[in-house]
Amino acid sequence: MKGTSKTAVCLYNAGSKKAGLFNFKEIKDFLRLIPEIRTVWDFSSGVQITVKKLSEQLKAIDIEKIIIAGDYPGEIKDMFRQSLSLAGKDDVKIVLADFACYASLNGHSTEMAKGLILCALNDKDYEEILFTDKTDLCRETLVIGGGIAGIQASLEIANGGNKVYLLEKTGTIGGHMAMFDKTFPTLDCAACILTPKMVEVGQHPNIEILTYSELTSVNGGPGNYTVKIHKKARRVNLATCIGCGTCAEKCPSKSPSEFDSGTSLRKAIYIPFPQAVPNKYLIDAEHCTYVQSGKCRVCEKVCPVPGCINLDEQDQDVELKVGQIIVATGFQLFNPSKVEQFGYGKYPNVLTSLEFERLINAAGPTGGNITFRTQDKKGNWVFENGAGEPQSIAIIHCVGSRDENYHAYCSKVCCMYSLKLAHLVKEKLHHADVFEYYIDMRAFGKGYEEFYQRIKEEGVKMIRGKTAKITEKNGKLILRSEDILNEKIIEQEVDMVILAAGLEPREDAVRLAEMLGLTTDEHGWFNEANYNFDPVNTFSGGIMVAGVCQGPKDIPDTVAQASAAASRVLQSLINNKVAKNYKDITLKEIETRLG
Amino acid sequence: MTYRIDPNLKTDLKKYGAKDWNECFHCGNCTAICPLTENNFLFPRKSIRQAQMGLKQKLSANLDPWLCYFCGECSTTCPRNANPGEIMMTLRRYLTSVYDWTGLSKRFYTSKVWEISFIVVFFVLIVAAFGIFLPPAADIFSNPSNYIDPNSGGVLINSLVPGLSNIQFVKVIETGDLIMAAIVATLLISNILRMFYFTIIKDKSVRVPFYAYFTEAWQLIFNFVSQPKFSKCDKKSYWLGHFLLMSGYTIMFIVIVGLLPRFQIEEVKPWYNWQRILGYYATFGLLFFIVYSIIGRIRKKEIKFKFSHETDWLFLIMLGLTTITGILIHFFRIGGLPGATYILYVIHLAVLVPMIIIEVPFSKWSHLAYRPFAVYFSKLKKAWYKKQNHLEVSVAA
Repeated sequence: MKGTSKTAVCLYNAGSKKAGLFNFKEIKDFLRLIPEIRTVWDFSSGVQITVKKLSEQLKAIDIEKIIIAGDYPGEIKDMFRQSLSLAGKDDVKIVLADFACYASLNGHSTEMAKGLILCALNDKDYEEILFTDKTDLCRETLVIGGGIAGIQASLEIANGGNKVYLLEKTGTIGGHMAMFDKTFPTLDCAACILTPKMVEVGQHPNIEILTYSELTSVNGGPGNYTVKIHKKARRVNLATCIGCGTCAEKCPSKSPSEFDSGTSLRKAIYIPFPQAVPNKYLIDAEHCTYVQSGKCRVCEKVCPVPGCINLDEQDQDVELKVGQIIVATGFQLFNPSKVEQFGYGKYPNVLTSLEFERLINAAGPTGGNITFRTQDKKGNWVFENGAGEPQSIAIIHCVGSRDENYHAYCSKVCCMYSLKLAHLVKEKLHHADVFEYYIDMRAFGKGYEEFYQRIKEEGVKMIRGKTAKITEKNGKLILRSEDILNEKIIEQEVDMVILAAGLEPREDAVRLAEMLGLTTDEHGWFNEANYNFDPVNTFSGGIMVAGVCQGPKDIPDTVAQASAAASRVLQSLINNKVAKNYKDITLKEIETRLG
Repeated sequence: MTYRIDPNLKTDLKKYGAKDWNECFHCGNCTAICPLTENNFLFPRKSIRQAQMGLKQKLSANLDPWLCYFCGECSTTCPRNANPGEIMMTLRRYLTSVYDWTGLSKRFYTSKVWEISFIVVFFVLIVAAFGIFLPPAADIFSNPSNYIDPNSGGVLINSLVPGLSNIQFVKVIETGDLIMAAIVATLLISNILRMFYFTIIKDKSVRVPFYAYFTEAWQLIFNFVSQPKFSKCDKKSYWLGHFLLMSGYTIMFIVIVGLLPRFQIEEVKPWYNWQRILGYYATFGLLFFIVYSIIGRIRKKEIKFKFSHETDWLFLIMLGLTTITGILIHFFRIGGLPGATYILYVIHLAVLVPMIIIEVPFSKWSHLAYRPFAVYFSKLKKAWYKKQNHLEVSVAA
């Protein structure tokens, strides 16, 4: 360790939520012992010096480098720049050592902070310490989640010539994107751009799809993980099923279709949707008459392929060895029945965005016709052609998002998908009135603002003001809101309401995080290693995050992040290097590695 | 018209209660969920906006805070936890100090020292006034039987002060009462005139049609007596509780100020006498409300009780003391304990007088006048809006 003795350190505490995890006193005492550090300014309990005073102090000492260390050290960089300017020492280098993004590792934060300062002292990147050679790196990769993020990441890695296991909880890959009608702002048909990718995944020699399966445990370390996977019994042989559908025709048991977001009914033996990959049937044990009561076996009798349906198939546990893992588990939609004022679940024609997305989809329950929700003969609420078309539709933004009572964060995609839905309604029902009740219109991406303007020109009425409550009167829904821009209270009568529900972490995200050693933020989204510069790595070595599970984002961002995660995986495979778990790095190791 | 922005307004307002004025992001939820809002009277959001922007002038011309009865629905559903209900409460305190020309209201709201010293001074003065009679009053303790009505066994309440006949004593108290009422009324009426000036005269956007002053006048009495607007809130029990308190308080006030010679008499009437029944009703109303409010403010479960300004507590304590001493006087009197009756009578007055002088013109209870007048003034404005066709709940066009 060759020090110049011309380095000064400033300890800064911006007083953020995370700052409490660091023991600033301990860090200060540690710094005092390092001979290469000449001066330590302690601003850990606030800046108590003026620019002028600081410049005088700077003038008095001969230094070449200043390390500002602490949470959000950038806040006082300007102050040092000014002071250096005043002192006539513009050539002094300022290095930031930002603790903030490492703070979530409980109990280890102070050590990490010391390490960061040491790295800064030696002009090394912290990540360089992190990556270690691994000759016995396992070449297989596990991708958890078969949505667009998982599909994209799998394809990137597999196209690079490496084996990928793609784990999917439901019977088909495709995820939420497969449920959408169109994408914003280009209005591409979602299925048309996704299904070719799904097929590519299905046919790729390097990709093994594990559908209807869940992760149960993870052992081992970076580069050599042993994962246990619970494969639920599909009860239909994947190899021999020809997808003819005779079984589903005769199956007597009906239940709400997950893929159609409950807007239609499916049989207990079913294929999630016609373009499913793998395009094979499976049996939903919970609703299967045979599994539940021991009698029926109709599907078995009508199946033209002998031995294809095995109603007594049992769940299986398999063990895989993988080197790296990409987590792409996505999100679940906020359940708007928690917002009682909106009466979701009470009024049949108050729908979630996802329900409406299915309703308006050409492959949806009505073939794309917008109809009222009605009760069928058995009393199930479904959408059927001939139930009448709504003449006015309102879309309420920020349901469950930007709301301290539910989720304080912005779900990022709802404004844009609401605009898209408004457009789709206008496309199908030219004369229908469409109202958008928004708080702030967040058209943040490339081409989004233009899209917003376009939708406005199409005659969609934009009302700035959150709807406070929905009541029903003579079968019509009445929305009471403040029209802020017109300074009016409005009570708008409409036929149908779409709640632009926000995105939230999956219920089992916490369990998954525990298994993988990931950390989550206060909302439950997985943490990335560094918000700005390392958006796919996590604190666990060899485990990457991609897509919405890391934080709400739209399809282009998800795809970009999935590719980024794949590139990290490929990097490791090419270099035979893999990152350590952050929590396994010791200060001693940093000191020896820095030499 | 140009408006001057006061960047310190938010800081000033913090002393009146609500601490965070920046939370609101103006989604309009509070205004729409409130069953009392109508076009041209859009609250709470608009008032919050005025406070955030430092529009002092607009705020002082704003009647909306008085039209809110704090059911708390806006605060429970507020997506920012900005507590619009509490902000409206704070603005009512602020407006009380704006209407008050003496500046005392502001002092009382923003400084505990001022308010408590004021109470202590009055307390001491009144105790001292009775203290003048103290040496001869020792007779009450040495010869209690002289002060007891031989027929009913009750204390002769008006004969407790030696040197004054019972008629003279009542006269003295009545005169004191009337002087107090006159002072309080003068202050309140002058403040209402200022309120009128700020909200109607200075608001150039509205020209009240002259006939409206007469056609809407009934609103004053109607709203004073029954708070019909409050009963439109979703939580009807709040209205009932308030009505109980309000009617109890009004009855008490009429009886002890206006009808004192008929009420405070030597004779202990039987329990079914109408005066006693009225008194019991009023006491029950007051007691119920005090206990309910104190428990509520300690438990902090209901939104309207979640945040308590110092003046809220002080008011409850004073009202509680007045009520309890009043009840004790009644029982000691019936029980034939002249000494205890005398001491409690003095304490009762010494708490009651500063309470009324502080609360009615300068503090919380000024709303007994400001609210009905705000409704009246809002109806005046409405008459103008009606002429302009501004009023109907609109449909997005």
